Amino acid sequence: MSTLPGQPSARPTARLRSLALLCLPILVAGCATLKVNSYLERGADLSRYRTFEWGARDTFSTGDPRLDNNPFFETRVKSQVESGLAARGYSKAATPDIRVHIHASVTQRIDVSGVDGPYAQCEAAECRPFVHDAGTLVVDLVDPATNRVIWRGWAEGTLEGAIDNQRRMEQRIDEAVAKILARLPPRS
Amino acid sequence: MAAPKRGSMHRIHRLAAIALVAASTAACATMNVSSHVETGLDMTAYRTFDWGPADALPTGDPRLDQDPFFKDQVTGAVEKALAGLGVGLVPAGGKPDLLIHYHAHISQRLDVRAADRQLGYCTGDACSGNVFEYEAGSLVFDVVDARTNKVIWRGWAQDRVEPILENRDVMAKRIQEAVTRIFKQFPRSESP
Repeated sequence: MSTLPGQPSARPTARLRSLALLCLPILVAGCATLKVNSYLERGADLSRYRTFEWGARDTFSTGDPRLDNNPFFETRVKSQVESGLAARGYSKAATPDIRVHIHASVTQRIDVSGVDGPYAQCEAAECRPFVHDAGTLVVDLVDPATNRVIWRGWAEGTLEGAIDNQRRMEQRIDEAVAKILARLPPRS
Repeated sequence: MAAPKRGSMHRIHRLAAIALVAASTAACATMNVSSHVETGLDMTAYRTFDWGPADALPTGDPRLDQDPFFKDQVTGAVEKALAGLGVGLVPAGGKPDLLIHYHAHISQRLDVRAADRQLGYCTGDACSGNVFEYEAGSLVFDVVDARTNKVIWRGWAQDRVEPILENRDVMAKRIQEAVTRIFKQFPRSESP
């Protein structure tokens, strides 16, 4: 491990720990992991689709009263999805090729290994069970002609401290949407 | 004589720690308050409010659904808090600037005594494995611009509710505290 000149070399574990502490305040902003994945309907050819519009609003509860019917959350997600799709060559139209649905859900999870916890680098004796709010954001692209989901992308990650801080929530949304849409198949 | 003295000092520390925990739970150090806001609005333009249509969502707890005492406490506390911000209940038949909705929700949540560990009230093995369940209550207020029908502000408080639901005096006090702290976050001018 290389050290900066003039700096006393620290033990690797101590360095990791200080790194983890550094992450703590910006946990949700940067260091927290985000698991992203997507499905493409077998045989679906996304390059055929050019235009989109929003589908009917989701009526499921998010599982968190702070996010249910929360226009600040919804508006941010929608504007990020719209600009992300526009950047990929999709334009908005009244009779679209694709209807876009979004769904967010929050569940409390217990993490025993410490992998998703604030001290991701914990050593066995320091690893404690850690309870956190895990959020999932799902983006569905639906073909209105067949009413079938042709593509689904989602991101999962901790929302700890993010809902109670509007700016952090927005950063988390931006990051999730960008990573989800990055999984869309490239246009030919 | 040195050993028992040390022991009693230790006991005093422990007692102090226990008293502190008791005091902090009693003074609801656990109540969590926050809000979301539509940026760029001039909040000083709003002068009057009215109550929006009643919440159709269930609270998740039969003890709170349709509880008139709970409702009276909440509406009373909000009217007081808003009066302090210069926003008054609209006179009958008048057109309000704002509509206010609220939603109360109770759910089961888990905790692992992370706070106890952080403060040093438990160490080592005593801290681990203490996953317990509690009832968390959320009180959410939506403030709607009556002209545009858009939510311009949402504020909420979350706290443990076991002691609140069992005692009306405690409930009244906690509602008062929650509402006061929530509306303290309401922006009074353009800059939130």
